[in-house]
Amino acid sequence: MGKIYLDPERCIGCRSCEVACEREHGHPRISVDKVKDLAAVPVYCHQCDTAPCAAVCYTGSLRLDGDMVVFDPDLCTLCGLCFVACPFGAIELDSVIHRCDLCGGTPVCVMTCPTEALQLEDIDAITGSTRSRAAGVLAARVRV
Amino acid sequence: MTARIPTVCPYCAVGCGFYITRNGMEYMQDHPVNEGALCPKGNAALDVLNHVDRLRYPMMRIGDDWIRVSWSEALDRVAEEMQRALREKGPGALAFLGSAKCTNEENYIFQKIARLMGTNSIDNSARRCHSPTIIALRRMLGTPAMTNPVSDLALSDCIFIIGSNLAENHPVVARWILRAKDRGAAVIVADPRVTPTAWLADLHLQLNPGTDIALINGMINVILNEGLENSSFIKERTSGFEGLDLSDYTPERVSSITGLRAGDIVRAARLYAKAGASSIVYCMGITQHSCGTENVTACANLALVCGHVGRPGAGILPLRGQNNVQGACDMGALADFYPGWRSVDDSRAIDELRRLWNARALPLGRGLTADMMPEADLRFLYVMGEDIVNSHPAVSRRRERLKRGFMVVQDIFMTDTARIADLVLPAAAWAEKEGTFTSTERRVQWVSRAREAPGEARPDLWILSEVAARLGFDLSPEPEEVLAEINQAVPAYRGISRSNAGARGGIIWPCPHPDHPGTPVLHTERFSTPDGRARISPVHHPALERTSPQHPLILITGRVVLHYNAGSMSMRSEGLVKREPEIRIDVHPEDAARFGVADGDAVMIETRWGRARARAKLTPRQKRGTLFMPFHFPETNLVASEIIDEKSMMPELKVAACRIWRAD
Repeated sequence: MGKIYLDPERCIGCRSCEVACEREHGHPRISVDKVKDLAAVPVYCHQCDTAPCAAVCYTGSLRLDGDMVVFDPDLCTLCGLCFVACPFGAIELDSVIHRCDLCGGTPVCVMTCPTEALQLEDIDAITGSTRSRAAGVLAARVRV
Repeated sequence: MTARIPTVCPYCAVGCGFYITRNGMEYMQDHPVNEGALCPKGNAALDVLNHVDRLRYPMMRIGDDWIRVSWSEALDRVAEEMQRALREKGPGALAFLGSAKCTNEENYIFQKIARLMGTNSIDNSARRCHSPTIIALRRMLGTPAMTNPVSDLALSDCIFIIGSNLAENHPVVARWILRAKDRGAAVIVADPRVTPTAWLADLHLQLNPGTDIALINGMINVILNEGLENSSFIKERTSGFEGLDLSDYTPERVSSITGLRAGDIVRAARLYAKAGASSIVYCMGITQHSCGTENVTACANLALVCGHVGRPGAGILPLRGQNNVQGACDMGALADFYPGWRSVDDSRAIDELRRLWNARALPLGRGLTADMMPEADLRFLYVMGEDIVNSHPAVSRRRERLKRGFMVVQDIFMTDTARIADLVLPAAAWAEKEGTFTSTERRVQWVSRAREAPGEARPDLWILSEVAARLGFDLSPEPEEVLAEINQAVPAYRGISRSNAGARGGIIWPCPHPDHPGTPVLHTERFSTPDGRARISPVHHPALERTSPQHPLILITGRVVLHYNAGSMSMRSEGLVKREPEIRIDVHPEDAARFGVADGDAVMIETRWGRARARAKLTPRQKRGTLFMPFHFPETNLVASEIIDEKSMMPELKVAACRIWRAD
């Protein structure tokens, strides 16, 4: 399965992903940070390959399963180590841990993103489309 | 009912599709406008259905209290009061406000009732979003609407966005602009503020508020001086070019008016003129000025001089605000137009409708527009789905004068307008009824019933048909039958049916016969003016309200992404309100320091029109010397200007001299 990739140049900070995620899960697992009102960056779980959240989890509640970090709430002790370990602050802790599960394969944040800033792809497809976009822009400059 | 019903978003005019399911919503990935995507408001759209605040039964005012009444009692009363006002004071004492949130069929029947009662005092909220577009584009191009569909922007080589913060107000439009950028298109954004739309720009022109005409004339001047105009297009397809003398709009003079660098004006002109296909996208930053009609004229002049109209990727795209504001205007819910854009002064055109409606006579001449209603001697006012008290500054300040006689409000919530009415009628929301909505790109889409209306709420069309019956008019409550009459009354809708409007993505008007595929791009061969030519017509930089020692700043009003217009819907969505709970006024940090205001302070704002309270937000995105207030909150109407564009009756909502101070 692919992962969610972000093109921050496309993000318009509309927070649609947040509202959609909240509707789907009750608590949003993605949040958009506006930086000085001059750019916006959605912060979310990147399903890291060597996941710090899973590495520090001493009960095995969070563990790597193939590409994805999976979460078993029954084993969770709410110790908060994952919360601190995540480099993106993408795990939130109140009475339960809120962590992205990619909506089982069709993440609503990606589906709803008006500008296609969020994409669910594998890494080859992402770099491929980035290359063809870059080529398109360069070609237009040459033409003019 | 089947498990998922296709619908169209009830918020802005982009016309995004999605599905309503038994438990919620699903995205519609094969919709031609949004491809499944939705903005935050679209994601929260279902919150208004079955909301605890929904009006559930008709209510009559007794003093300060409301009592529940039966539908028959309520409808009898509407008809009696309307007839009494007519009998005692004549048709001039009646006024009607249609709704850019209601269907085409409902607006058509509503204006028909008004006109059969003998008045053209019927208006809708288009008055304060695109009334200048209606006047200027109708005169210049023949058709007052977007020339190209939204997705066409992906085919543009240069996109000039002026006076539109589409990234916040029509977020899905940004999708197509980014597709164009992927192909290497240049994006120019003219806006005094660094909006999220400006983030998309290759060239951001941070002009002084209200100097759009100077900028555009300056660009045309550069284009003509450098020979970048499209001479064959001007010769074959336009008239009036010889009168276009803009030689005194030199880059240097325009620079001094707009505050822009002369080089940037030249660069913008070259980018726009030299591209193979260029589009102009504009919105209320162009229209909501006392020179709104001239602003639109300037935009169209630029496009015509370069021949950037009538081809894929080349067009003029006014972004409309409400889900059916284009349709409400097409249906003639306007004080100056009958259905099908027949002018109220054109007796021959109106005579066609008189025959269709079997009417003895129909009123001629412009009726009262919304802003004029508080000052008129009205005895009966019928408001359908519009919170006029919170949307027109003039009405907001004189709300008590609005109600001099009997007032009926038909809505889904108890708005501030409903609160001052004598009778409140509970209406079904968009997903609880059927009919067509016309999006900003002229796309007509049939919406099916997906949910039951709460309590005794009824579709507006049913309510209107019942009222009409009591007045002696036989008007159908069935959307399909009304659409069949619209086929006769509105030429552009002649071939539109439940079948083609109900297909995925509906159909784009003009659709002259039932088998016609629709017309996404207008003006490809000829313009829809009488002689087929577009009119070029010179306009000039106007005198603006200036700052003074007493009012040293300029107040700009506008919108934010998480709220919608007067807020009767978005303010009832928890997911939206908690992210944008209160009114904030954007202040540049240097202005804040100058006037002793800190981030988060409660502040007072004063214009010559009034005072309001808000919370200050310090942000470098605000242009120095200007403030910004979103008009979703009632406070903004207390300070907004009432200067009017006489041609379109649009108020000047974007420029008002003001001052700010800490409120403690």
